[in-house]
Amino acid sequence: MQQHVSFPVFGQNDYFNYKNPQTLENRMPVVDAKKKTQDPIVTGTSVIAIKYNGGVVMGTDMLCSYGSLARFNSIQRMEKFGSYTIIGAGGELSDFQSLSNTLNDLVTLDHCIDDGSKLSPSEIYNYVARVMYNHRNKGDPLWNSLVVMGYQNGSSFLGKVDLVGTCFKDDIVCTGYGAHIALPLMRKAALDNPNMNLEQAKKLIEDCLRVLFYRDARSSKKIQISVANENGLEISEPIELDTYMWQSGEAAVKSFSQV
Amino acid sequence: MDLKLSPFPTLEKQMPIEHGRFEAYVDNGGTVLAVGGPDYCVIAGDTRMSDGGYGIQTRKYTKIFQLTDKCVLATSGMQADTLALQKRLKTMLSHYQKEHGKPMSTPAIAQFLSNTLYYKRFFPYYTFNIVAGIDEKGEGCAWTYDAVGSHERVKYASQGSGNQLVIPLLDNQVAKFNQQIIAGGNVTSQQAVSFVKDAITSAGERDIYTGDYADIVVVDKDGVHWEKFELKLD
Amino acid sequence: MFLTRSEYDRHVNTFSPEGRLFQVEYALEAIKLGSTTIGIQCAEGVVLAVEKRLTSPLLEPSSIQKVVEIDSHLICALSGLTADSRTIIDHARVETQNHRFNYDEPMTVESTVQSICDLALRFGENRKGEEKMSRPFGVALLIAGVDEKGAQLYYSDPSGTYTQFHAKAIGAGSEGAQQTLQEKYSKSMTLDECQALALTTLKQVMEEAVTTSNVELAKITTKDGKYKIYSKEELEVIVSTL
Repeated sequence: MQQHVSFPVFGQNDYFNYKNPQTLENRMPVVDAKKKTQDPIVTGTSVIAIKYNGGVVMGTDMLCSYGSLARFNSIQRMEKFGSYTIIGAGGELSDFQSLSNTLNDLVTLDHCIDDGSKLSPSEIYNYVARVMYNHRNKGDPLWNSLVVMGYQNGSSFLGKVDLVGTCFKDDIVCTGYGAHIALPLMRKAALDNPNMNLEQAKKLIEDCLRVLFYRDARSSKKIQISVANENGLEISEPIELDTYMWQSGEAAVKSFSQV
Repeated sequence: MDLKLSPFPTLEKQMPIEHGRFEAYVDNGGTVLAVGGPDYCVIAGDTRMSDGGYGIQTRKYTKIFQLTDKCVLATSGMQADTLALQKRLKTMLSHYQKEHGKPMSTPAIAQFLSNTLYYKRFFPYYTFNIVAGIDEKGEGCAWTYDAVGSHERVKYASQGSGNQLVIPLLDNQVAKFNQQIIAGGNVTSQQAVSFVKDAITSAGERDIYTGDYADIVVVDKDGVHWEKFELKLD
Repeated sequence: MFLTRSEYDRHVNTFSPEGRLFQVEYALEAIKLGSTTIGIQCAEGVVLAVEKRLTSPLLEPSSIQKVVEIDSHLICALSGLTADSRTIIDHARVETQNHRFNYDEPMTVESTVQSICDLALRFGENRKGEEKMSRPFGVALLIAGVDEKGAQLYYSDPSGTYTQFHAKAIGAGSEGAQQTLQEKYSKSMTLDECQALALTTLKQVMEEAVTTSNVELAKITTKDGKYKIYSKEELEVIVSTL
């Protein structure tokens, strides 16, 4: 009989339990036993965002990794919620999708109330913070770092929430490697140019994502930039960062659009 | 013909990488302190929030929370727990106000906070609190706590990552412990504010988790007065 | 009221078409059968005086207790079905102690009275476990206490209503006694004068002469916020001056 052979991938868990094929007992777990996220599986990396004069700009790349494997190359990691809010997520992709469902339900419910009032960015931010904190209290965290941004009634909103429920508002917010690499760059840029306009802010985000692409091994050069300002919300089409030539040989022929 | 691959890495190499268990607690650092005077209380807290390591998440997170117009809560430790605790106290305070027709007194808040912390004895709020303000007699007062509710009424207190740096200063300058010459007389609230600024600046000098800005709060019979004060950003 | 008696007084939680809860009204009637109880409040404190009905010379007077402690700063005199007061007093004692546990301070008089009244309408048989009684309480209370607002006297009845009084009489002789109190009471009275007024008023409406064994007297003073129930000897001194 052909024996199953697994191909080892370094840095990757035996997620599908090939090593311990399930017996009947294993398949029927103890009643009430439940699966809790102990570690993330498919993950996005940094989210970076900054307030500019008249709105907020946020940027992420579009890669979702499976351990060290660059698994999904074209995942949008920012979502709109309601008319004024965008959330960008790093960490476990499935948890963000689950949270998105929860938030969309909330937005739908708010719409159905039909009182003309719409969920504000700060309301969504506070709600997300409670959801994250309550999950951590159950020992079943949503493994994400979330950046909430928005623009409503002439004022910008920018805040961050993480997997234990830590949350704060600031003018510059970065998650993951971004907090180590992009944040100091952005703080300096903001200090040098306190009244940044949209173009400058977009440029800054793009530059920072490029730097992240150079140093963060779990990042990609396919990015999106989103903006919240008086014109509403906008999440850009995928953008390919101009970088040094990394290609060689045959791979060089393949362009970004074929990824 | 079967192509048979030999299982190349040994079993132990194929074991999942240990990601480490989910860590439910984070210490976001920070220093808070309070000095009670005859008819006032001065409370200070820095506004740096660290990420649990060397990183600064934000420079503008205030650790002092106004509970009533006679009482504030200053908290260091885990920010998410701090927020949950503040929200809980806020709702319970308004509940008390409605039920008893008066705001909760500072000593009552002190006792209530202890109970609140102890109720989570086996999954504690990772918070280190000072309740400070003026009591029913109008005297400045402060209570310090551990994470599970042990508490003590004191004349002055400090908590958080810079606690060890601040407390000897307070022992020396507020309690005047073991001094050769003791300058007498009551300290005015302005003097206390100036001293408290020195104390938190000193903490920021050596403690990497303390810095950026400080909130200086004075509680007296006229209410709660806030002041921002700059610390080093390094 | 009994003229309109109908099927609507069979169930404790059924309103009559006129909008009345007969069982509650009947409970109020039960109070009027109780022994006379008087409370008078002044700036110095509150006095409570209660008649004890000694139905037999063989009855041991000290076995009847009509003034009870709720907390060190709160006392309560009762009239009506005194057995029902057990539940109420128990509840009030737990509430005041809980308050001390939670807030390290005595519970205010009004809050305590409110918590007693919360209990009063918790009767019936609908929601299991929520109610303590199958019928309304048959007892009314005069609650005297001291807090930061000073000495206060409250009256609470089976309908769950509470009212603050300067002077209040309840029980069988309440109508006559209340009249007397209205005529004689003044806000400037001292505690001793209140004491004398309470006893003389009680004396008027009692069938028997006032002795040290057929009245109970208690006071609570603003100064120390502590209550005192008079012993037989202490009562002797006051009764002899009447």
